[in-house]
Amino acid sequence: MNVTRTNKTEGPPDDTAPDPKAVQAIGRALEAHYAELVQAPLPEKFVELLAQLEAGDRVSDAQGSGDAIS
Amino acid sequence: MPSARFKDELLAEIKNLRAFAISLSGSVTLADDLVQESLLRAWSNSEKFQPGTSLRAWLFTILRNIYYSNYRKRAREVQDSDGFYARRLTVPGDQESHLDLEDFRQALTLLPAEQREVLTLIGASGLSYEEAAAICEVGIGTIKSRLSRARSKLVELLKLEETSDLPVERRVRRAG
Repeated sequence: MNVTRTNKTEGPPDDTAPDPKAVQAIGRALEAHYAELVQAPLPEKFVELLAQLEAGDRVSDAQGSGDAIS
Repeated sequence: MPSARFKDELLAEIKNLRAFAISLSGSVTLADDLVQESLLRAWSNSEKFQPGTSLRAWLFTILRNIYYSNYRKRAREVQDSDGFYARRLTVPGDQESHLDLEDFRQALTLLPAEQREVLTLIGASGLSYEEAAAICEVGIGTIKSRLSRARSKLVELLKLEETSDLPVERRVRRAG
C-alpha cells in the first residue's frame, strides 16, 4: 500500500472541509478495510462456477439477463 | 462462447469484485450472491465488454446494477447478520493505531449507499473519477461532492476532530 499518497483524490477545497490529517486517516482505514477483503481467500464456489460456465453446463441459466448492463 | 482468456480475466477480478460487493452491501452472504449473479451476467454478456477498457469497472457496473435493482432492500434487513463486521479486527504492526477496522466498518455502514460506493470505488478499488462517474451514471462533479460528503461524515462519525491529547495523525496513524 502506498503510504506516501498525496491528496490527488481530494475534491475541491471548501470552508467545511475536514482536517486533512483526519481525511488521510480515513483514507488509510479505507485501504486497510478493502485490503483485508481483497486478501480473503476466494470461495471455491466461484472458481467452480466459472469452470462450469466454461464447460457449458450453465449456459441456460445465464441467458436473458443482460438488461441491467448499460 | 467467451474465451478461456476472458474466463481467466474474470477469475482474476473476483476478489476485487467481492470486496466491492461486501463494502456496498455490508454483508458477506449478500455479497456472494451478488458476485455469483454478476459472474453469470458477465459471462452471458461477454460480447458487450469492450477489450481495452477496464474489466473491473465493467464488472462493478454489472454488480452495482444488480444490487440497486434487487438487493438494496434486502441489504437493510440482513446487514451484518452474518457477523462479518462484528469481528474485532486488529491492525497488525502498529501499536499506535487506534482507529480500528470494526469502528471504521460500522461507520461505513451508516453512510448512504451512494456515498459508500463512491468512497470505495475511488478510495480503495483504484478506479479513476471518470470510471466511477461512468459506473454510477453521474457526472464527475457529483462523484467529487459525494466523496467529500462521505469523508466529512466519517470524520464526524469517528470523532476524528475531537480534541485529544494526541494529534490526529498519532491517534490514527497507519490504520493499514
